Amino acid sequence: MNILLSVIQALGLVLLAPLVAGIIKTAKAGLQSRRGPRIFQLYFDLIKLLAKDSVVSPTVSWIFKIAPYIYFAASAAAAALVPIVTSQSSGVGDFFTLIYLLALGRFFLVLASLDGGSAFGGMGGAREMFIAILVEPALLLSILTVASKAQTTNLGLMASHAASSSLSLAYVFAAIAFFIVLIAETGRIPVDNPDTHLELTMIHEGMVLEYSGRKLALIFWASAVKQMIMILLFILLFLPGNVFGSTIFIGIVLKVLLVAVSIAIAETSTNKMRLFKVPNFLAVSCLLSLLALVAQ
Amino acid sequence: MIASDLYYLMLLLFSAGVVSVFFTRSNAKLTNYIAHSIALMGSAAAILCAIFIFIQGKVVVALPVVLPFGPIGTSIDYLSAYFLLIVGVVGAATSIYAYGYSREYYNCRLPLMAGLYNAFLLSMVLVFTVSHVVAFIIAWEVMSTVSFLLVNHEYEKKVSTRAAYIYIVMTHIGTIFIITAFLLLATGAGSMDFSQLKGSLVSENSRNIIFLCVLIGFGTKAGMVPLHIWLPRAHPAAPSHVSALMSGVMLKTAIYGMCRFFLEFLGTGPVWWGNLILVLAIITAVIGVLYAFIEHDIKRLLAYSSVENIGIILLGIGAGMVFMSKEQPFLAGVAFSAALYHVFNHALFKSLLFMGAGAVLQATHTKDMEQLGGLIKKMPYTAVFCLVSSVAIAALPPLNGFVSEWLTFQVLLFLPQALVGITGKVFSALLIPLLGLTGALAAACFATSFGITFLAKPRSKKAEQAVEAAPSMLVAMGMLAGMCVVLGLWPRAMLTILSQVLVRFPSIDTRGLVGYDWYVLAPATGQSDGGISTAAIVLLLLSGLAIAMLLHFIFGKEKVAVGETWTCGIVPNYHMEYTATGFSKSIRMVFNSIVHPYFETLINANDNKYYGRKLFYHVRIRYLFVSVVYRPINEIIIRAAKFMKSIQTGSVQLYVGYIMAVTVVILIWSTGW
Repeated sequence: MNILLSVIQALGLVLLAPLVAGIIKTAKAGLQSRRGPRIFQLYFDLIKLLAKDSVVSPTVSWIFKIAPYIYFAASAAAAALVPIVTSQSSGVGDFFTLIYLLALGRFFLVLASLDGGSAFGGMGGAREMFIAILVEPALLLSILTVASKAQTTNLGLMASHAASSSLSLAYVFAAIAFFIVLIAETGRIPVDNPDTHLELTMIHEGMVLEYSGRKLALIFWASAVKQMIMILLFILLFLPGNVFGSTIFIGIVLKVLLVAVSIAIAETSTNKMRLFKVPNFLAVSCLLSLLALVAQ
Repeated sequence: MIASDLYYLMLLLFSAGVVSVFFTRSNAKLTNYIAHSIALMGSAAAILCAIFIFIQGKVVVALPVVLPFGPIGTSIDYLSAYFLLIVGVVGAATSIYAYGYSREYYNCRLPLMAGLYNAFLLSMVLVFTVSHVVAFIIAWEVMSTVSFLLVNHEYEKKVSTRAAYIYIVMTHIGTIFIITAFLLLATGAGSMDFSQLKGSLVSENSRNIIFLCVLIGFGTKAGMVPLHIWLPRAHPAAPSHVSALMSGVMLKTAIYGMCRFFLEFLGTGPVWWGNLILVLAIITAVIGVLYAFIEHDIKRLLAYSSVENIGIILLGIGAGMVFMSKEQPFLAGVAFSAALYHVFNHALFKSLLFMGAGAVLQATHTKDMEQLGGLIKKMPYTAVFCLVSSVAIAALPPLNGFVSEWLTFQVLLFLPQALVGITGKVFSALLIPLLGLTGALAAACFATSFGITFLAKPRSKKAEQAVEAAPSMLVAMGMLAGMCVVLGLWPRAMLTILSQVLVRFPSIDTRGLVGYDWYVLAPATGQSDGGISTAAIVLLLLSGLAIAMLLHFIFGKEKVAVGETWTCGIVPNYHMEYTATGFSKSIRMVFNSIVHPYFETLINANDNKYYGRKLFYHVRIRYLFVSVVYRPINEIIIRAAKFMKSIQTGSVQLYVGYIMAVTVVILIWSTGW
């Protein structure tokens, strides 16, 4: 029964994810005094791409063909683990499971990037892995603040523990640390630029350069889902207080909007940093998490 | 007793395998089939023997061997049976694999290799089962020597001989410490039998000394940093099926020895034992995987990754010892089962990866990834099995590597329960992210090694002409790949065995390990019910896939057009592909204080100076531990030798003078000054 609920939740998140991406885009455009695309533009893009033909290189193998499906399935499965509807389902909603599911998707996408046989793909894949390697310790450290207090890595229990604990300096530090991780993990400025059109500066986009048509649509969609998952984790674990009233769903929706706008602000107020500055950026996150752990 | 009969049968079979090569040595093909069939039967007997022990209980077998140190007994308890099972499973797979792989060696002393292969299996089986100090050390030495000979099998290659000699020196340094540990214990107990060693009366100080000896002695065999330097040399030099056995099983003899000592002989010790192991373990894991990632020789990469996995196993053991000394039997049980689970998992996927590397080596005659590529089209089945093992070793769900790594993560998370205060917090705050870093590096490492080896276009003629491996090799790899999947989806099976293995030991409680639905893995920690279920993950993945497939109904079948890879308008060729060296460049730069990369650029001076000169670019690594630990020791030894040289001039008169001087000193000393 639990698993059915999880699947329904995953379906809901998958359907809503492009909307969140659209909100960020609109907010960003507003901050830059542009009109920007419609809020639902990503849905139209996805529908257009889904109906289009794919171009596939003769160099590639079946890995290239299945990778988008695995990436999508892994992201959707991870979405099922986020503790919203399925808050206390034991046996499924584990934090390590969630991030390793995302890692599974990334693993196959990187393989696919090497499969095309061009330098751009390999470069994108290598950088994506590089950032993933650096993000992993920072992500675990920031989560550890909540997990070590709750004495579990079950997401539902962690979220309810976070909701019941009072606001402290440790949480603020951990929240900032996780926000840095969120930016790096979802491939946004200053770590990666989702709107770039220069192959040499692309990271995530460079990795999927060879994709087109339905496969590209699946990748875009899954990336949006991944971004949604990270935002939701941030909200459930680090913004637990009932800031916007008691109704949980409305609270979550409002918080998602808040985080989306803050991402847009963060993106407009900085510019992309050099790749080898990223370790320092994430080191800040690690230090904050350590401070949070000690201050706890 | 079926188990003891099977045990005898297994020993007989392996011995027969050694002997058989003397009769069949004139015919290489016959040697191959007979010797490896016997090894296969022996391994099957080992599996059955282990299973029957789990059914019947502990078995005591008297070996008809007379040594001047009292009767040599073998008592096979569950711990021994567990490791016997590992030898059996991996041995069976490598024996089947050897049918196909040995064809490489028809003109290269195959009878010797096949005989030694059987002897190697025999010695490992004995190491795991004998219960007498002298017998253990003899078996240990036989194992070391036989594996030395196997590493040195291709002695025409200078690399192999050098690797073999470093290996034999290092392993003997380790053996000295192991013997010291055993003798200190045995003198305290007044007996050399394992069953008596438990209650050995030794002072606190000698217990600490024994602990350090065990750590150094077995740590050398396990490849613990900084004693690992032999491992990345020796494992690649051996024939691939032997490499699989060495990495998959031989390293685990050290883990077995540690478990015996820490769980049984020494019992619970002070907390710093566990802490020391934890620190060494995390260094081992990070250093191992870092070197693996920047390596582009497939087999060396796998060897370094073995170092990493030993680190992960030791994390479990170290945490278990901390919990034992702080009297947390539940958590100690979880910690040791995490370690032992990973022992089995690593045996499976590392053997599988070595077999895959062997298949690639046989097909292309190169171990250098930069020369490979595109093999997924030439060797489709090998590629699938390698992909399975790469996903498993990268600890990605839903395969077995994920399960044991998750258990290790849980154990580290609960570390503050034993180490109260800031130490526990800092420890778990350092260990968990570093283990995460290890996992991420492992994922990157195996994405690269699989991607560069199997995907894109072939990078050399050798890779273009590759053909699929022999059916027997594929069967062997398929067996292990299947087991990786089963142990991933059904962790309860392994945990049931492990709880039986560990329940015997006094300071461990394993009741929390089992007792849930078959698909749930939730080690009860007395705190909360956090758990995972790999089967549910698969279900979720499938539903995710179903959502993606739904698009086929809405938008119809996807139309596919063929178009060349985009390379800015140039016709793509294999020179444009990303290399393994390029892939790891950013990591080399970030971790340059540890890996010390430097470049060598060779320019062909005969080419036209202004246009199209041929460049060769090499990245090399300065190995930290070689330059910091081993080279200074080496220099001291050489300096000491030079000093001795100046004393030893070769003149007989001088020697007589030395003897005179020594005699006089001794005479004076004997009179009591």
